[in-house]
Amino acid sequence: MAKRSDSDATPSVDRRKFLTGAAASAAGAASTLVSGVAEAQQAAPSARPAVARPTDADARKDFVPPEPRGAPFIDHPGSDHMVDVFKAFDFDYVAVNPGSAFEGIHESLINHGGNRKPEIITVMHEEAGAAMAHGYAKAAGKPMMTLMHGTVGLLHASMGLFQAWCDRVPVFGVVGTPRIPTSVINRPHSAQDMGALVRDFMKMDDEPTRLDVFASIAMRAYTIGRTPPMGPTLLVVDTELQEAAIPNGMSLPIPKLTLPSVPQGETGAVREAAQWLVGAERPLIRPGKLARTPAGWDLLLQLAELLQAPVDVGTYGSWQDFPSWHALYGSGGADYKPDVILGLELNDMVPSVRQTHATGGKTISICAEYLSQGHNIHDYGNYTDVDLAIAADAEATLPSLIEEIRRQSPRDASRGRTARGAAIAAAHKTIREREIDDARYGWNSNPISVPRMVSELGRQIQKDDWAIVSGHQFTGQWQRRLLNHDKHYRYNGDCGGFGIGYDTPASVGGALAHKAHGRLPIGIVGDGDFNFVGPGALWTAAHHKIPLLLIIHNNRAYHAEVMLVQRTAARRGRGNDKVDIGNVIRDPAPDYAKIAQGYGVYAEGPISDPNALAPALERALARVRAGEPALLDVVSQPR
Amino acid sequence: MNMRKLLRSLLAPCVAASLLVAVAPSPAQQNAGATPVGDAERGRQLFSDTYNCYACHGFDAQTGERRLVPMNYPVEGFVTFVQHSPLPQMPSFPDASAQTLADIWTYLKTIPVDAPPLKDLPLLQDVLARKNQAASAR
Repeated sequence: MAKRSDSDATPSVDRRKFLTGAAASAAGAASTLVSGVAEAQQAAPSARPAVARPTDADARKDFVPPEPRGAPFIDHPGSDHMVDVFKAFDFDYVAVNPGSAFEGIHESLINHGGNRKPEIITVMHEEAGAAMAHGYAKAAGKPMMTLMHGTVGLLHASMGLFQAWCDRVPVFGVVGTPRIPTSVINRPHSAQDMGALVRDFMKMDDEPTRLDVFASIAMRAYTIGRTPPMGPTLLVVDTELQEAAIPNGMSLPIPKLTLPSVPQGETGAVREAAQWLVGAERPLIRPGKLARTPAGWDLLLQLAELLQAPVDVGTYGSWQDFPSWHALYGSGGADYKPDVILGLELNDMVPSVRQTHATGGKTISICAEYLSQGHNIHDYGNYTDVDLAIAADAEATLPSLIEEIRRQSPRDASRGRTARGAAIAAAHKTIREREIDDARYGWNSNPISVPRMVSELGRQIQKDDWAIVSGHQFTGQWQRRLLNHDKHYRYNGDCGGFGIGYDTPASVGGALAHKAHGRLPIGIVGDGDFNFVGPGALWTAAHHKIPLLLIIHNNRAYHAEVMLVQRTAARRGRGNDKVDIGNVIRDPAPDYAKIAQGYGVYAEGPISDPNALAPALERALARVRAGEPALLDVVSQPR
Repeated sequence: MNMRKLLRSLLAPCVAASLLVAVAPSPAQQNAGATPVGDAERGRQLFSDTYNCYACHGFDAQTGERRLVPMNYPVEGFVTFVQHSPLPQMPSFPDASAQTLADIWTYLKTIPVDAPPLKDLPLLQDVLARKNQAASAR
């Protein structure tokens, strides 16, 4: 076990001495270089080549951006107006990894905007910035902005933006670009069509070319991003436009922000859906990315309890939609054969259609995905021959559906539904008991079993207002089984695109959103995930004092892939003794506690003894409750 | 059909089929119905190093999907199941000999079950009680 000591935080070298030493070294190095160049020039043959060599001045001009000296004083730059527009969106935060393509906006955010609304969150990788904005948006219920450098920053961010796209989450992206690059450095940061780099997974991108249209284009990007099906949007902003002086007396009005109402299901179709659900003997509800807001959570609860229908959130439901310890949470038990399945924002209805068609039942789909044209990525799912498809936002449609079910229900409907609910509750109780029975196995195993890890955590946060800000993709169903997800914000959902590297920075983003509410954010992330951009994201949490308990579910491998290679090798008859090659993270095993300590975060680990986990959790949680991030490296069973 | 029922239904015909596996009959098979004779130490190596079974089933074969301890199935059924897995998430291992799988099966039988009774686990007892309370509150 390793802990950070206070002495570690004290720099061993005085800052002024460090800077002085660095300057002296640099001066020495520079003189050596100059001297070397001079000697080389003296040694050159007298016959000059056909093409003149660049002079020092030429080289300097090409490698160093133009000096600002002599540039006209700009009293009121265009980037000030841009920041005024961003303020109209009520952004709390903007993720920034600095880049010279948006230095104008950067400066305006700090000095014109006062670094408030939005406040700069310094990130160490643009993918982390996009993932933080993604996790933040789901936890806060509103977008966060991320600011990126031309091409290089945008390409770094592209994976984070892709995940947000697949998860239907709005992220407000702004990328700076030098339209007229002036040096060898910023030429690669300029592009003929910057948005094209990520257009396949952006809901909209645009480049305002004049300041007087900037606000309306930004408003459009913001409102389109927030209209279901939601998604990330991108503004491309030229450096010259950022630097352009706003003439005295020129008015640049900012339009009023009006978010459009969300499309609801057509009345006749909703009436028909209600009729089928009222008449069903065994209805089943399957939500996907349903609860955009806490209202969606409440409405689903109302619907399920009105119908006394089970709610099956599926294995990798990306957003938490239903209380995980509710009597109706589940698929109704092994003997429950649904005759009507209602999909709510469920992108893939294929299994539901197969299930109901096999028994002569019907399927209803209420989904905003029907309003999406789809892009290059196949995340929009296959066409499915459901029996009733309603192209609308499910959360917005639920009030009218519930009302219509009430209106159509016979007076004595509640008697049959109560009996149905009781049977479902009994079946689910049996399942609950079996799940707890399963959790006992490997209780004292070393490394620690996943259910032991989650149980120990659950015991210590019972009195906290906690929120799981990571996904649960790699901990099976144990989080939902052992932690009572009884509120909308208890669980922030998976990444959307099933790509590794989301969980750690998105946890920081989710924690940032919960900070305002004083909640206790917890991320349980795989070691594979952490190793992408996790360490830098931890630094962001430390730097901005974002409370977050990060538990590394450290199984020292990419275990999902072991099985895939196993399957392939077995199918080809080539043996399985080498399938760990390329799939394990050991020899050496990274020490995540030391890594975290290096970034200024309280950390303990590796912890593989299950009896050492509870006290370590207690110490780490005390740090988080006091307002700082903490990390526990828990060496765990593979599954 | 749940996993356990599916397994049972598949295992019944497979027991007979497993006897037709074109390899020399293993001691385990020769003693079908009695305690099979396998090499537990070789089985451990096969489980951990050769076939990397731990990746899905846990280092102690009882924490993953699915749990293999306690191993309640007969060796013949185990051999057939592993060689011709009917489950999409479980690869088939047709080249694994019956003797190899009998060794793994024997190793699995030697692993002590680490599942304290619920009455000795107040933490899980508390979770179950609170779960039942939350479910009945509706």
